[in-house]
Amino acid sequence: MENYPVDRAGLLRRIQAEDFALYEVALYLDAYPTNKKALAFYKEHKAILEALKAAYMQKYGPLTIYDNTSSTEWQWYRGPWPWEKEAN
Amino acid sequence: MWIYDKKLQYPVKIKNPNANYAKIIISQLGGPDGELAASQRYLHQRYSMPYDKVRGILTDVGTEELAHLEMIAAILYQLTKGLSPEEIKKAGMDIYFVDHTTGLYPVAASGVPFDMKYVGVKGDVIADLNEDLAAEQKARVTYDNILRMVDDPDVRDPIKYLRQRELVHYQRFGDALRIAQDNLDSKNFYAFNPSYDK
Repeated sequence: MENYPVDRAGLLRRIQAEDFALYEVALYLDAYPTNKKALAFYKEHKAILEALKAAYMQKYGPLTIYDNTSSTEWQWYRGPWPWEKEAN
Repeated sequence: MWIYDKKLQYPVKIKNPNANYAKIIISQLGGPDGELAASQRYLHQRYSMPYDKVRGILTDVGTEELAHLEMIAAILYQLTKGLSPEEIKKAGMDIYFVDHTTGLYPVAASGVPFDMKYVGVKGDVIADLNEDLAAEQKARVTYDNILRMVDDPDVRDPIKYLRQRELVHYQRFGDALRIAQDNLDSKNFYAFNPSYDK
């Protein structure tokens, strides 16, 4: 995998880009579920997205309610929340 | 952003379609205390909520309401699946059918279409959280009323589950109100807007 940024905003931007790529191809696959090229694209970018998310969550906390890993604190509620400038 | 999870929160498996039941249960889709109103109320209130814990509660309860909206839709879908025009007419569902067939259009049982007027967003911590506490109780009463009208255990089971969730949400909004009040100035306990009155 390529080198990815380590700062919060940089890492988040890469996650958003990969997430968008994956969602875009998913919409296409809804109509063309056996398209080999699209399926390969999905597989490739899913792996990249998973790696990016793991790196992000280790440093900056959970992305979904099911991603809390700390056994001493529920970190989910901690801001900034996505609608705040500081979160973007 | 949101991700769709391809499962219901709690199973809905109804053997016998029943247009009479669908006619009243549709109020929890598009009625004043229904799940659509609930989801929009909490998910829009969270932007003006200054406390992270309460933002979390509004986000997570609001998201669960979307799952409840889907459960109500599944109940309505199964209750109306395969009904003949005669059965629909006999149940008095013809006045809905003429405009929507058996598509799911959010209306109250009275036929009034969903309206954002059901949703209070005051941008004030105390006003909004008290609105939410009342909303959960009103939804609970609506489920109680549905349970008074519906005998089929296949329908009652998911409705009872949804009723129970209203109680849990009421408890969580009670926590939210306490958290908010802990953050308020004691001199302005009931009339303080942290967004504006520093």
